[in-house]
Amino acid sequence: MRRLGENGGVSHPAVDVRDLHVRFGDVEAVSGIELRAESGRATALLGRNGAGKSTTMKVVAGVVPPTSGTVTVAGHDVVTDTLEVKRAVGYCPDVGGLVPRATPWEHLQLSAALRRMDPWEEPGRDLLEKFGLGDVAHRVVGGFSHGMSRRLSVVLAALHQPAVLLLDEPFDGVDPIGVDATLEVIADARARGACVLISTHLRELALEACTTAIVLRGGSRVAALEAAELSGEAYRALLD
Amino acid sequence: MRSSTDSWAGAARDTGHLMRFRARTVRRRGPAAVGLVVVLALTALVATYPAQLEGSVSGEAADVLDRLVSGLEGNLGIAFVGVLLLSIGTAMSSGGGRELLSRSEAAIHPISALTDHLGALALAPLNLAWLIQVWGLLAVTAFVTSPDRLAGAQVVVLVWVLAATAMGQVVGWLVEGVRRTPHGVVIVRVASGLVAALLGVLHLTGRLRPLAEALPTTWLVDSLSTDRWVEAALALVVLTAVAVWLGGFPARWALGLPPREELRVESGVHEARHVPTPRWGSLDLALMRRLDRGSVWRSVGMRRGLLVLGVGPGLIALVAGLPWSTVTLLPGLVASGGALLFAVNAWCLDGRGMIWRETLPVTPSAVFDARAIVIAECLAGVSAVTIVLALLRNGLPPLQTGVAVATCWVVVIVQVLANAMTWSIRSPYGVDLSSPRATPAPHGAMAGYAGRLSLSTTLTGMLFTGLAVVPWVWVPPLFGLLFLAWSVRRLRRARRRWLAPVDRVRVVLTVAAV
Repeated sequence: MRRLGENGGVSHPAVDVRDLHVRFGDVEAVSGIELRAESGRATALLGRNGAGKSTTMKVVAGVVPPTSGTVTVAGHDVVTDTLEVKRAVGYCPDVGGLVPRATPWEHLQLSAALRRMDPWEEPGRDLLEKFGLGDVAHRVVGGFSHGMSRRLSVVLAALHQPAVLLLDEPFDGVDPIGVDATLEVIADARARGACVLISTHLRELALEACTTAIVLRGGSRVAALEAAELSGEAYRALLD
Repeated sequence: MRSSTDSWAGAARDTGHLMRFRARTVRRRGPAAVGLVVVLALTALVATYPAQLEGSVSGEAADVLDRLVSGLEGNLGIAFVGVLLLSIGTAMSSGGGRELLSRSEAAIHPISALTDHLGALALAPLNLAWLIQVWGLLAVTAFVTSPDRLAGAQVVVLVWVLAATAMGQVVGWLVEGVRRTPHGVVIVRVASGLVAALLGVLHLTGRLRPLAEALPTTWLVDSLSTDRWVEAALALVVLTAVAVWLGGFPARWALGLPPREELRVESGVHEARHVPTPRWGSLDLALMRRLDRGSVWRSVGMRRGLLVLGVGPGLIALVAGLPWSTVTLLPGLVASGGALLFAVNAWCLDGRGMIWRETLPVTPSAVFDARAIVIAECLAGVSAVTIVLALLRNGLPPLQTGVAVATCWVVVIVQVLANAMTWSIRSPYGVDLSSPRATPAPHGAMAGYAGRLSLSTTLTGMLFTGLAVVPWVWVPPLFGLLFLAWSVRRLRRARRRWLAPVDRVRVVLTVAAV
């Protein structure tokens, strides 16, 4: 198993966000977030709706360019080296994230081929089985339930064993088997030295999966603490 | 229990609510108003101007006009039938008719089948083929009617168009109902094939024209230039009302059944294929092209629409024996229709999947090129079917004409492609295209796109029709190069905008917000 840092790949921190601002027209979705996430650790991004969690994840994934600030992922700048960032990252978007008329297998094949993964079939099949999607590997995803789509999004994010695993609401609408499989993927990623960033509203699951928690409010970071320190009361106090 | 009268009244009220809701979501009200005025002005122009021509020309031009008028006069009844056939075809291909709210948006509202039926009727005019047919019919009527009888004649034409639309809707719902029964798709395909074959046999045995002339539309045409136009108009008003009422029954039936074909496609199984080996271009481009092709050809709406667009005008060219001067116009109109299926909002094809696609390590230029290539393939494919069917009927054209038609074909494809890619980046919309009744942009925007595409491609086609009679064979390609240079410039500009991260993310986030 390749460990991070080998092949001259990743230096710490794996995700380094400094003074990040993102504007959509008149709306400032993110206003000055500072965030560092280390390799081999899982970090939870917590906060209310509209706190800037998903936008930050999209910036780190190389999907949305920052309006200002610097974002480095696995040693690559998201603005100047976007393709390398995308190669290093495995991203499960917050909603959908699947091409409606393609099958799970075709999604995996495309993702693997574009990253020049070889072989990919065996690990792909294993992941699909682990997430209970083995029987529908060749069925068009347009007819999938919300939970099935979420599970497949996690599979796609994890397939190429990325240096940085970004999971945006991975537990949303997912059954207990899917939740367990997702927790296993997170644990595996941490074990091989990957940096895991999870955005979720589910504090309990975040605490179970993560070592560190960062709380966002109104597009800014309001707290960064060890996950164990984030009690229910403390969390609620940070949200208000 | 509510009476049927209440249901109709409620449906009419609900249709009003939905139309007002849609009207409020029009983003660019200024251009929308200008578009509406242009359509109305064009309609008034084509309905009146041709009638003024007869007195304003003399000499050889007058003789040509006389021949044209007598030719058109003999075909007016058939043109009336053509409007009815078009209405039926449009309603059939769009799964009963367009929807005021998409299936997912409408799911949470108590929208009745009758409301859906009235909505589909209200949206029927926002269709390129419908508008062109109506303008054509108004123009031909104006040509063949004396100015003092023109107003009455055009009233009859307009009411006939309404009646034909309502009757087409009845057939459209019936076919959709049959399509949703077990084996319904096969039944509809076989029946459509048999009807097409029957028309072909009737044409080949010389019985099609007498049959068309024996239809009641001939009586309508006869009434245009007489005082009987009032009776005709009143009869058509009654026919329209009956057809609207009648359409409610198959609409209720069809919409009460599960959409089998869509559900089958949504849960379709496609066995794994090997990674493509590109014969040209990069592997990344080949992979993205394959993904895009799947998105088009695995969609019920796209497949059905492209089939109808390819075969429909081609069959008319085959059966009616359209001259090459008219055939030159068809590829542009067919390509425009193809673009209106999805290409005017090309990135909506992937819906929410666009976000995931954007995380793939592939250059934005490969993504743009793949989408443009797949759209060009679709446009070229459907318009090629039309040309091939015209070739079957007319045989090989003279060299000059052939060069003009071929050049025009290439020019209009690149022209439509450049327009579509420009609009897709300038005005993206989040649209769920899973239903064949859905449109890739709001109805007002679709009407604008339809008008602009049809105008530009028709004018281009007319120019090349003129160039086909110039004695120098190199003239059409020379003009073609000028047109291509302009369109390629627009296409490159659209590509540059796509490559800019800020523009791209605006498109991606908009289309993914379905």
